[in-house]
Amino acid sequence: MGRFVRSPKDVVTGLLLIFLAAWFAWLGADLPIGRAIRMGPGYFPLVLCGILAALGLIVLLTGLAFRGDVEVDEDARRIAIPWQGMILITVSVVLFGLAVRPLGLGPAIGLAVFISSAASRRFTLVSGAAMAAVMVLFAWAVFVHGLGLPLPMLGPWLGGY
Amino acid sequence: MKWKTVAAGFAALAFGLVPLAGAKAQDYPTRAISMIVPFAAGGPTDTVARLIAESMSRSLGQQIVVENVGGAGGTRGAGQVAKATPDGYTILLHHIGQATSATLYRKLPYNVLTDFEEVGLVTDVPMTMIAKASLEPKDIAALVAYVKENKDKVIYGNAGVGSASHLCGMLFMSALGTPMTTVPYQGTGPAMNDLVGGQIDLMCDQTTNTTGQIKAGKVKAYAVTTKNRLKALPDVPTMQEGGVKDFEIAVWHGMYAPKGTPPAVVAKLNAALKQALQDPKVIARFADLGTEPVSQERATPEVHKAFVASEVAKWKPVIEQAGIFAD
Amino acid sequence: MEIFDHLALGFSVAFTFQNLFYCFLGVLLGTLIGVLPGLGPVPTIAMLLPITFGLPPVAALIMLSGIYYGAQYGGSTTAILINLPGESSSVVTAIDGYQMARQGRAGAALATAALGSFFAGSVATFLLAVFAPPLADVALKFGPPEYFSLMVLGLVASVSLASGSVVKALAMVVLGILLGLSGQDVYTGTPRFTFDLIELADGIEFVALAMGLFGMVEIIRNLEDEHGRSVLVQKVKGLLLTKEDFKRIIAPVLRGTVLGSFLGILPGGGAMLSSFAAYSIEKRVSKYPEQFGKGAIEGVAGPESANNAGAQTSFIPMLTLGIPSNPVMALMIGALIIQGIVPGPNVVNEQPNLFWGLIASMWLGNLMLVILNLPLIGMWVRLLTVPYHILFPLIIGFCCIGVYSVNNNVYDVYAMAAFGVFGYLLVKLDCEPAPLLLGFIIGPMLEEYLRRAMLISRGDPTVFVTRPLSAVMLAMAVLALAVVLLPSVRKKREEAFKE
Repeated sequence: MGRFVRSPKDVVTGLLLIFLAAWFAWLGADLPIGRAIRMGPGYFPLVLCGILAALGLIVLLTGLAFRGDVEVDEDARRIAIPWQGMILITVSVVLFGLAVRPLGLGPAIGLAVFISSAASRRFTLVSGAAMAAVMVLFAWAVFVHGLGLPLPMLGPWLGGY
Repeated sequence: MKWKTVAAGFAALAFGLVPLAGAKAQDYPTRAISMIVPFAAGGPTDTVARLIAESMSRSLGQQIVVENVGGAGGTRGAGQVAKATPDGYTILLHHIGQATSATLYRKLPYNVLTDFEEVGLVTDVPMTMIAKASLEPKDIAALVAYVKENKDKVIYGNAGVGSASHLCGMLFMSALGTPMTTVPYQGTGPAMNDLVGGQIDLMCDQTTNTTGQIKAGKVKAYAVTTKNRLKALPDVPTMQEGGVKDFEIAVWHGMYAPKGTPPAVVAKLNAALKQALQDPKVIARFADLGTEPVSQERATPEVHKAFVASEVAKWKPVIEQAGIFAD
Repeated sequence: MEIFDHLALGFSVAFTFQNLFYCFLGVLLGTLIGVLPGLGPVPTIAMLLPITFGLPPVAALIMLSGIYYGAQYGGSTTAILINLPGESSSVVTAIDGYQMARQGRAGAALATAALGSFFAGSVATFLLAVFAPPLADVALKFGPPEYFSLMVLGLVASVSLASGSVVKALAMVVLGILLGLSGQDVYTGTPRFTFDLIELADGIEFVALAMGLFGMVEIIRNLEDEHGRSVLVQKVKGLLLTKEDFKRIIAPVLRGTVLGSFLGILPGGGAMLSSFAAYSIEKRVSKYPEQFGKGAIEGVAGPESANNAGAQTSFIPMLTLGIPSNPVMALMIGALIIQGIVPGPNVVNEQPNLFWGLIASMWLGNLMLVILNLPLIGMWVRLLTVPYHILFPLIIGFCCIGVYSVNNNVYDVYAMAAFGVFGYLLVKLDCEPAPLLLGFIIGPMLEEYLRRAMLISRGDPTVFVTRPLSAVMLAMAVLALAVVLLPSVRKKREEAFKE
C-alpha cells in the first residue's frame, strides 16, 4: 500500500462501515422520521447510520494516519483465505434451504453434509458419503422420530409430503 | 477433480431416494395432516388449535400435527396455506386477523376472500375492557365520559399492529369518536405487565389473558365486548349496557383449507370439526378459556364464508379511518 | 414458619415417583436439545405440549420446566466445545469457554459451567421460594424509562466484550442494532430493511445470526490452515478443576448468581442481559483482565451462573403474576390453560401443590443436571478428539436443521449462510462479532422502550432522570462510558491487550 496508508486493514474496515451506513440509510430512506415526541420508524435507524458513518470515518483516518496492527498483518499474510472451502460451505447451506421443502429433510441434510465435507483437503468420496448417511440416519432418529419435529424426511418431489 | 466427485455424490444421493408413489385416494386422510397456526406456540390461538387438533385427530383416525408458522401478523402462515397443495393435508387455523389482514396489509400476496376454502367457524373468544386498578371511573359509563374528557391523555396499550387488542381499541375509539394515545407492545405479556404496574391506563384483551387478573383484583374490568354477559365474569356488564352502542367484537377462530381442496375432503374435515366442537373435553377446556364452541349451524363452510366476507367489510372502514396499515 | 410447611408440601409433591420421573425426563431432554445446536427450548416445548395433555398439571409443568433449565445447561456445552452458541445466553460463554477448550481445558470449562450453574440454580430456586411475591413487585416497578436506562447500561457494558479496538467494538454494536431493527416496526407496523420479503417481516432470526457469525465463521477459519489446526486439542489437560481454578471461580459465581437472580425477574430479556453484564463485571474487577477473550475461567463462571440463576427467577412473574417474561414462559402459560388452570396472581393460593411442587422439583432438577453433566464431561471432551474434517460437516448439518426448525423458514438458513461469509470478513478485519450480537439483541428493545417512554411521558425527556431507578442506571452507564473512553484509561487498556 501507499505511503499514507499505515494500516490497510483499518482503511478497509472504515470504508466498509461507511458503506454499510450509507446502505442502511438508503434502504430506510422512505421511512417516516417523525419527531422526538412521536418518533417514526425512520428516526432511530437514521441516527444509527450517522453514528456508524462517524465511527467508520474514525477507523478510516486511524488507518491512514497512525500505526496499525502490524504484528497481526504478518500472521494474516501467511494464511491464505480458503476460498474453495468457504464457497463449498456456503453453497451447502444454501442448497439445504433450497432442498428442504421440495425434497424433504433427508436428501437436503445429506447433500449439505456431503458438499460441505468436500471443503476439507482430506475429503474422499467414501468418507463424504458415509458422513452424509450417518447424518441422515441421525436426523431421522433424533429430530424426526425422537423429538417429533414436523419435518418430513421426503418432500413432495420425492413422493413424500 | 473435486467438483466431479461432488456431482457424483449429488447424483448418488438423489437416485438413492427414489420417489415413493404418492397415493391420492378417496379414503382421505391416509397420513398425518399439518395444521398451520400462524402465531407463536403457547398463545391463545395456538391453545384453541391444539385442543381442536387433538379431538379431530381422534375422529379422523390420523394425527393432526400443529405447526406454528408465526410472523407478519399471521399473514406468513396464512400465505403458506394459500399456496399449499389443495389436498386437505395442509389446513389453517386463524382468528379474526384473517379478515382484518385484507385491509391492514395492502400488499398481501394472497386474496383472503378467494384463496381459501372455509371449513367452518370454531369459537368466538370474548374480550374485556380492563384498566389499571387505580383508574378513577367507577363503571363503563363513567369511563366513556372520562375518555371523552381526557382524550389523548388516556393511554391505551395493545399487543401490536393487527392484534385483537389493537382492533378492539380502534373500534372503541371509533365508537366514542375520541382518540387516545395508543402504545403498542410486543404481545400481550409485556402490555399486561405495564397495565398491572400502572404504567398505562387501558387495555382490551381476550378473556384468556384477562380473567385471572380480573378475578385477582389486579386490574379493573369495565365491560365485556360481547352481546351478553359471560358466565365466567357475571358481574361485568356488556358495552351495550354501558351505553356504548354498536360495539361488539369477539376474537373468532375459523378453519381453512387452500382453494381447490376437493369438496369431499372439506366435508370430511367439517364433519370432524363439528364432532370436535361437541366433544365434552373441548367444551370444558373452552369454558376455562372463557369461551364456548360455536353452534353446529355456524360451524359450516357456507356460514363461515359469508361471515369472513362480512367481517372484511366491517373492519375495512374502521382500519382505513384509523389510517394504520401494516405494510 | 410458613415457608417450611410450603417446602415440605413442595417436596412431598416433587418426590412422588411420577414427578421425579418427569423431572428427570425433562432435564434429560433439555440437555439433549441444548447440546444440539440451534434447537432451543421453545420448539421442543411446543412439540411436547400435546404429550402433556394426558399428564396431571404438576407433572406436565415439572417436565416442561426441566426442559427449559436443562437446555441452559446443555447450551453451554456446544458453545465451549465448538464455539456454537445456540442461545443468546451462551454467546458469552463461547468467548472464553471456547478459548479454554482450544488450550486443552475444555474439561475445566465444562465443569465450571456445570458447578456454577448448579450453585446459581439452587440459590435462585431458594429466592423463588422465599421472596417470589415481593420480587414480582420489582418487575412491576420497572416502567419503560427504567427499561430504557437498563438497556443503555447493557449496551455500554457490551463494548467490554471485545478485546481489541474500542472504536471498532462500538461500530459493531451500532451495526448490530441496525440489523436488529430489521422487521416490522412495533409502533406502526412498517417493515424496515426487509427487502419486501414477507419471510423477513419479523426480522433476522437471532439463531441464524449467531450460528453464522460464530459457528460458520469458526469452521471457515479452521479451514484456513487445516494442518495446523486440524486437531483442535493437542493434549487434554485435567478434566476437572484445580485448586487454583476453584479459588478463581468462587467470587464470579457469587456475583453472577446475584446479578442473574435479579435481572431474571425482569420481563423481556432480563435473563439474556445478565450473562453479558456478568461478563463485563468480571472483566472489570478481574486481576487478570488481559486473559479475557483468551480463556479466562472467570469469563465462563460468572456468565454461566448468571444465566442459570436468571432462568430460574424468570419463573417468578409467570407464577406469581400470570405474566410471561419470555416465549418459554408464554408456552408454560399455554400448557397451564390446556390443563384447565387459569394463570394469574391467584395460582399460588389456589394451586399450592403446583406452585410449591414445581419449585421443589427445580431444585431436584438442578441436582440431577449436575449429576448427569459432570460424568458426561469426559465424553464431551473425547468428542474433540474426533478429526475436524469429520466433525465440521456434521456441525454444518446440525446448524442447518437447527436454524430451519426455529421458524420453519428457509430464509433463516440463507441468512445463516450470508452471515457466515460476512462474519468471516469482519473477523479478517479484526472486528469482533460478540458486541454485534449484543447490539442485535438489545438494540430493538432500546428503541422500543425509548419510543414507549416518550409516548407515555408525552415527549418529556426528563422522565429518564426524574425517576430514581432510571436515573441511577443512567448515571452508572455514563460512568462506565467515561471509563471506557477516557484517553488515559484507554491507553492502559491497549497496553494490557498488547501482551
